[in-house]
Amino acid sequence: MNWRAVLTHRFVYVPLAAAVLVGAWNLHVAANADGVIEGVVRDGAGRPVADADVIFFERNFVNYQEKFRARTDAAGAYRFENMQVHVGQLEARTPGGARSQRLQLRLWFRAQHTRADPLVVGAS
Amino acid sequence: MSRVRRPPTWRRHATMVVVCALMLLPFYWVLKTSLTGENIYAYPPRLLPENPHLFNYVDVWYLIAFPRFVLNSVIVTAMAICGNLLFNTAAGYALTKDFPAKRWVVLLFLSCMLIPFQATIIPAYLITSWLGVLNTHLGIALPLLSTIICIFIFKASFEAVPRSLIDAARIDGLSEWRIVLRIMLPLSKPAIATNVILSFIWSWNAFLWPLIVTRTQEMATLPLGLARFLSVLEDTTGALYAFVVMVLVPGITIFLMAQKEFIRGLTSGATKG
Repeated sequence: MNWRAVLTHRFVYVPLAAAVLVGAWNLHVAANADGVIEGVVRDGAGRPVADADVIFFERNFVNYQEKFRARTDAAGAYRFENMQVHVGQLEARTPGGARSQRLQLRLWFRAQHTRADPLVVGAS
Repeated sequence: MSRVRRPPTWRRHATMVVVCALMLLPFYWVLKTSLTGENIYAYPPRLLPENPHLFNYVDVWYLIAFPRFVLNSVIVTAMAICGNLLFNTAAGYALTKDFPAKRWVVLLFLSCMLIPFQATIIPAYLITSWLGVLNTHLGIALPLLSTIICIFIFKASFEAVPRSLIDAARIDGLSEWRIVLRIMLPLSKPAIATNVILSFIWSWNAFLWPLIVTRTQEMATLPLGLARFLSVLEDTTGALYAFVVMVLVPGITIFLMAQKEFIRGLTSGATKG
């Protein structure tokens, strides 16, 4: 059998290419789907904000609802684990009542390891 | 001697490019909307997508049971293609033979083509119910297992095979099935490609029959999923159009891969007297 002719036939190489792409994508997903969403909270001057609540809003069919909370450490860092989501919003709230703008998160796959942009509280 | 003057090639090509662009415009619009999610009624309309992204496709994958719908569609389509190849080959070969009342059988087939599918839905449903295959893949594929148009495509293709070749095969001791498998089918590749593509398109896009015969969401095919998606998510234009693209892509890919055979299969026999 002429393997070269078989492999260069469009009925073979097109499905083959699709299968390779799907396989590569699934490997990438498997390697990066640890469910961690992390980031930092800063104030308007760029200093880290400790003890701020970071709220994750999950999208349902119509709107966004509060689903998870995390607290920032001394370095202003927060971390959510086991997040089986692909879309949502993040908002930071300080004990003093200041809030950040909601940050829209759209991930390429569910539970994608994500480092979110900094949440800035009290910025005008 | 006067020569017939033809318009220059570039003019013909320019006309074809314009016509192609006009025909592809709706597809482009669907693709563009799936990448942006913008309002399709926005005025003035924007030709180029603004901030395109692929997240609408991710939404479709997770918001509904898309993989399940794809699996159901693939199973039903594979059954329809296999059934079409098997039954249409047999029927097409039989119609190349001479037998009593052959003319009436051909007439019956042709007259059956005039009856719309909607008129036969109730008997088809009852037969499917008696067979006990409601809400199964086989039940969804059942009316698509053989189509009259494809039988005639095979008949035309088989009739183009020289009679002497079949006689020689018979003298060599080949049975009827082996004549079909070893001689007829290898010489009828365009007919096979046409059968595969037509049965693929019909079963992939079938909506009414799967809607009637399925009872659970687990058995829904892609067109049913699209309808469900429409009813659940009215405001997500981008995701809806992404879904449409995801439904269309397999069919378009298969057509593009086999377009040469497809056109040849449909036209072979069209010029016969």
